[in-house]
Amino acid sequence: MTPRAEALLDWLDDRTGFRSIRHVLLDEPLPPGTAWFFTLGSILLVGLGLQVVTGTALALYYAPTPDHAWDSVRFITTEVRLGSFLRGLHHWGASVVVVAAVLHLIRVVGFGSYRKPREVNWIIGIVILQVILAFGLTGYLLPWDQRAYWATVVSINISKLTPVVGEWVAGFLRGGPEVGALTLTRWYALHVLVLPPVLAGLVAAHLYLMRRHGISGPVRERRGTPIEFYPRQAARDLTMAIAVGAVLALLAWKGAPALEPPADPTASNYIPRPEWYFLGLFQLLKYFPGKLEVIGALVVPGVAFTLLALFPWIDRGKSRAWRDRALILGAFAVGLASIVTLTSLGAMDRPSTAATGAWNVQELAGAMLIDTSAQCATCHNAASAIAGPIEAGHIGRPADWLATHVVDPEVIAPGVRQPPATNQRDTAAILAALARLRSAPAPEQDPSTREAAVLFNRNCLSCHLVDGIGGVEGPDLSHVGRKYDAAAMAKRVNNPVDVKPDAEMPAFGGKLTPAQIQTIAAWLAAKQ
Amino acid sequence: MDGSGEDRRTALARFVTVIGGLLTAGVASLVGLVAAPMRLTTPRTWRRAAAPDDLPGNKPLTVVLTARDADGWYETKKQSVVFLDRDASGYRALSATCAHLGCRVKWDDTQAKFLCPCHGGVYDRQGNVLAGPPPRGLERLNVRVNPQTAQLEVEL
Repeated sequence: MTPRAEALLDWLDDRTGFRSIRHVLLDEPLPPGTAWFFTLGSILLVGLGLQVVTGTALALYYAPTPDHAWDSVRFITTEVRLGSFLRGLHHWGASVVVVAAVLHLIRVVGFGSYRKPREVNWIIGIVILQVILAFGLTGYLLPWDQRAYWATVVSINISKLTPVVGEWVAGFLRGGPEVGALTLTRWYALHVLVLPPVLAGLVAAHLYLMRRHGISGPVRERRGTPIEFYPRQAARDLTMAIAVGAVLALLAWKGAPALEPPADPTASNYIPRPEWYFLGLFQLLKYFPGKLEVIGALVVPGVAFTLLALFPWIDRGKSRAWRDRALILGAFAVGLASIVTLTSLGAMDRPSTAATGAWNVQELAGAMLIDTSAQCATCHNAASAIAGPIEAGHIGRPADWLATHVVDPEVIAPGVRQPPATNQRDTAAILAALARLRSAPAPEQDPSTREAAVLFNRNCLSCHLVDGIGGVEGPDLSHVGRKYDAAAMAKRVNNPVDVKPDAEMPAFGGKLTPAQIQTIAAWLAAKQ
Repeated sequence: MDGSGEDRRTALARFVTVIGGLLTAGVASLVGLVAAPMRLTTPRTWRRAAAPDDLPGNKPLTVVLTARDADGWYETKKQSVVFLDRDASGYRALSATCAHLGCRVKWDDTQAKFLCPCHGGVYDRQGNVLAGPPPRGLERLNVRVNPQTAQLEVEL
């Protein structure tokens, strides 16, 4: 460094004292034995910093209104230079932050670092974890696609379970009578204006207290002189940052998960799934029906977090060795294992449609058509190199893709000449069945029922209602078997005017074979 | 500390400084690339402005041109004000945007001049600066008569 530059730095140091700041930041004495485990907090810090940077860059293009949020995210993903990578970084970065926070927590528990005199910092750390989860929750809504919308509806409804103030909390989070524009602006404000300074303050306090009490170091204190943070531990931190950054960049290069269709409050065939770090809670809720739900939603997580916060007071021994802390470590391990189990169960449970209960006639018809279609089987068979068999639970394509594919396989699967269905009703049935097949296999039915379903779907459903589906021009046939037997039904289907001179229903005698009419009639007669 | 320890310390310090600097620069350039606007001008196209008979002759005709324009994810209606005029040399189209700081100038009938409402810029009928701070005259836009439609068109 030239003497002149040295003189300038001396002047700056005299006026600001920056060298002492540098000294405070870099020359922190670490207990001997501090090593790789102690990089986890730094990774978390780097991850949070990266979220701030990528989030700010996203905000340059994002519009928090229902009219434009989805469009602006699509614009970011498809048109902004490096936009897909950027969104990928922010999306996967959130997961990196959650993972780093949990690993850091495990490290702190494992090393007993929460012990006196670090109780306050321990609690601050737990609050930071909750703020991180709040970031995840509020950020989730912003793309305003189906996933975002429904996850938010669900989480706001969970907040209603809060005793006494539930309605108020839900109202505050919603900002209006429904989840909509007022919710979006509110969560955007929370995500980008409220939570960041809160987090920054907590992190600053966390770091300050960390420095005040020093790093706890290895479980068994080692002899030797303290080592300065810079450059040895800094190099470890940096190496970890490079490794984690490389994984993150790889994930981000493939982009964030594709945007789903824009938020649609009327969609009935959409089953929302939360981000993976809420899957445990999501799964837990299933075990507490009705009024007990509050236990799964708030009591269990609340008790878990409270117990965690009380660790320094529960575990007050002198030794930090594992065998002296078997109870607390065991309890922590059980808690952790429960979360992992619940999360895995939640992840495995992934139906993609909301349909439940018995399959209706249209869905049954579709299942029959898929099973018997030579066109489908051309590509979808176990031996095929082109596509796997059509199996329940293995249908991941979005509905609009499926709709295109069923109508015109050539578009998506070149070389397939014939679509499986040649009329709209068969197409609709196949799509309805595919939607059901996402979550469950088709029920076993005898062949005549399946054939009747296909015939009814193709010829009758547009006018007649059966089991809640169909047209309303003709009578509801859900319980028609109570009125007519199979012979009477067959007569009506064959030529309605024979039975009722002013009938508007067309005669099917010429269109369907007598055997087909018998099949439909028998099936209808069984509708009690 | 022995010599090799000191060497190791220096090497580590260099590693931290260089790699840390590179990573920071990488993130910064990512942000820079994302933040840099992708398009700052709209490609010009010919827009129908008026019929030649619409020009009053004794003063310029003020025309508001509206065009749909993609503004990021947003489709906007961009409106531009143009003064159409005619003299011995042919048709003339002037932008109504003041050459000083971008206010919208108006034709004043009594003074027969373009006046800027912001900082007192004054232009003559040809768009030349007569008074005030504008550094140059009003922008002259290309104008033509479309042979097919016989309409006046302005390139905007």
